[in-house]
Amino acid sequence: MSGRNDNRGKFSLWVLLGLLFSGSIAFAAGGGEGADRSADLLDLLYRVMNFAVLVIVLVWVFKKARIGDLFKSRSAEIQKKLEELRNGKGEAERKFREIERKFVEFEKDRQTLIDQFRADGLAEKEAIIAEAKERANQIIEQAELAIQQELKSVKERLQREVVALAAERAEEIIAREITDKDQDRLVDEFIESVRKSH
Amino acid sequence: MIRSRVAKRYAKALLSLGQEDGQFQAYGKNLVDFSGFFDANKELREVLTSPAFVVSDRRRILNDILAKSEYSETVKNFLNLLLDKNRIDAIREVSSYYENLMDEVSHIARVDVITPKPLREDAARSLEKVLEEMTSKKIRMEMKEDKSLIGGLVVKIGDLVFDGSIKAQIEGLKESLGRGE
Repeated sequence: MSGRNDNRGKFSLWVLLGLLFSGSIAFAAGGGEGADRSADLLDLLYRVMNFAVLVIVLVWVFKKARIGDLFKSRSAEIQKKLEELRNGKGEAERKFREIERKFVEFEKDRQTLIDQFRADGLAEKEAIIAEAKERANQIIEQAELAIQQELKSVKERLQREVVALAAERAEEIIAREITDKDQDRLVDEFIESVRKSH
Repeated sequence: MIRSRVAKRYAKALLSLGQEDGQFQAYGKNLVDFSGFFDANKELREVLTSPAFVVSDRRRILNDILAKSEYSETVKNFLNLLLDKNRIDAIREVSSYYENLMDEVSHIARVDVITPKPLREDAARSLEKVLEEMTSKKIRMEMKEDKSLIGGLVVKIGDLVFDGSIKAQIEGLKESLGRGE
């Protein structure tokens, strides 16, 4: 740090000497005027001194305020900021690529889902159709069974009615045709069957 | 049901007395006779069973009637007992059950013979003989006529029924044909 301050002091001294030298040259160039110009020289001297004081003050102020450090710090900060911005840009680009990749994946997933839904829908449709066919077959079978049962019932009812009518008719015929001899034979057969039964 | 149980109890008691003195058949005839008389006279039934008349009056009326009968003293006392116990209205059941008990004691089986036409004498005798062999009891047949039987006959011995009628055969045939046999 002291080395850097020395360099600054040297630099300030060289600037001051350079200014003094350029002022001497200007004064020498105006030497042909003689004593009349002494007031001007004095004025010049004052000006040079004034300038030297100004330079010294400025050097002192710069030294005190560490303007260099400030500039360096500011420069480093700007460098850092630039670095951060470069990193941020890279990060943003990475995120952008990530989003792009996700978007592609989303598109793939969306298509997969659509395909899946379509396949499920078709399967459901097939299942519904199959179930409806099965139900229709069951209804047809039940209807056929009901018809068969109704036919059987009607047949049995008709048979009962026919039998009842036939029995009634038979009773009428037998009652009309039966004779005392038939009755005697029936009684004898009954007595014989009772005798055999015990 | 209660009335039937009571009638059985009284009938058994009277039969027991009749068996002791050997007069159970005479008691039975007296009971049947009085039961028929009791059923045939509505006014008598109402007087003897109505609580509107005091028991002493009812007993006097009953004894006035019995005095004119030739019933045994045991039967007269038995009928007075029924009156006192307010069971005189069960006389029909008592008489009926007494007859059953009497038949059992006498080894008699009562048989209902139902025919569409009167049974021939020889056929009735043959039937009686067969039924006696079957039941090992003396048969007392009661003949009934039922034209709806068409032909043949039906014999009922207690709960046992022998149905040899044309009507039963036609019914059996009708059932068989109805079942599609």
